[in-house]
Amino acid sequence: MHEWSLALSVVQTVDRWAREHNAEVKRVVLSVPVVSQLDLSILREAFDMLKMDSRLEKATLDVKVRSPRYRCRACGYVFGHEEVSSQIEALVGKYGEEYPLHLVPELLPAFVKCPRCGSHDIEADLAIQVEEIETI
Amino acid sequence: MRPLLERARDNLRGREVVAVMSGKGGVGKSTVAALLAVGRGNTALVDLDIFGMSTPRLFGVVGRLHEVEKEGIRPFEVGGVKLFSLGGVVGDRYVVLPGANEGGVVEAILAFADLRGVDRVVVDMPPGMGEALLALERVARFKPVLVSTPSAMSVKVVSHLAEYLVERGAKPAALVLNMAYVECGGGRVYPFGRGDDARRLAERLGAALVELPIDPELESYVGRIGEYRGPAYRELLKAGL
Repeated sequence: MHEWSLALSVVQTVDRWAREHNAEVKRVVLSVPVVSQLDLSILREAFDMLKMDSRLEKATLDVKVRSPRYRCRACGYVFGHEEVSSQIEALVGKYGEEYPLHLVPELLPAFVKCPRCGSHDIEADLAIQVEEIETI
Repeated sequence: MRPLLERARDNLRGREVVAVMSGKGGVGKSTVAALLAVGRGNTALVDLDIFGMSTPRLFGVVGRLHEVEKEGIRPFEVGGVKLFSLGGVVGDRYVVLPGANEGGVVEAILAFADLRGVDRVVVDMPPGMGEALLALERVARFKPVLVSTPSAMSVKVVSHLAEYLVERGAKPAALVLNMAYVECGGGRVYPFGRGDDARRLAERLGAALVELPIDPELESYVGRIGEYRGPAYRELLKAGL
């Protein structure tokens, strides 16, 4: 259900921007990190419901699921998502639907260790961002 | 554009935000924050001490996870308080995070907390003057309530925080002097000193000084702090915070 509250954040934020700029929105590009494991069909459904009566009424939502590069600040190792996916799968298995990175992807270093040295001191861009707004 | 930052701002807009803070750990912020939230109507307590997470322990909800609905994170409702904590997201485990991530976590909790029906939000801040403080500043205007013990060391650290807050236009509303005295044999004993430094700091800030006693009974309320109505609670209530 988290997808609904995220969609609401996006609609409200972009709608305010559109009102300030007296614009109608045609397309919104949202970028989310792969670790959040969002259900994109629910996210789009929520967006389409919540955009009614806003400056986004005719807008489509494009979601870019990005796979960030991670860097261990302890040993300097740079790695991709595939090297930590087993750790994340184990986490999903443990928490089920309430999987913490689904709600707060920036918690990743609390749960994932560097595959080379085991440190939690991992950096990556994990923020959820509106990357692009196209107007009519 | 960061939708969670905007949502967090929207979520707190129009609500009174009371931030319980200290430059130092171990002075009783979580207890003071809990007591500022219990027994008052329409109040939420948001635990932003994401490394300590004492609040779930105080309210007896350790290990419970928040339900998430369309409207966001549902609070734990305990002792008349709507409680939100990262503990309700990660469960009973440690959290270690690079500083840059801390702000994103704070923004996410404040963005997704379902605050419907809430007029007043008490925030339990982590010790220190790092990312959580900066994140709260990004999100809302708040009323700081500072917590210290009478120890000169603790007051000095808190005074640095106070200076910063004044510079930022967030004048502290009160300085809570926790563990100020013990009632004993009809008189008061001051085991950590009379709190003269704290008194001078409060005067300099033009903030109320609220002295809380050491109440040995308080420990037995860990896990059910919502039921506590002892002297520490009454002093805070009297101060109108």
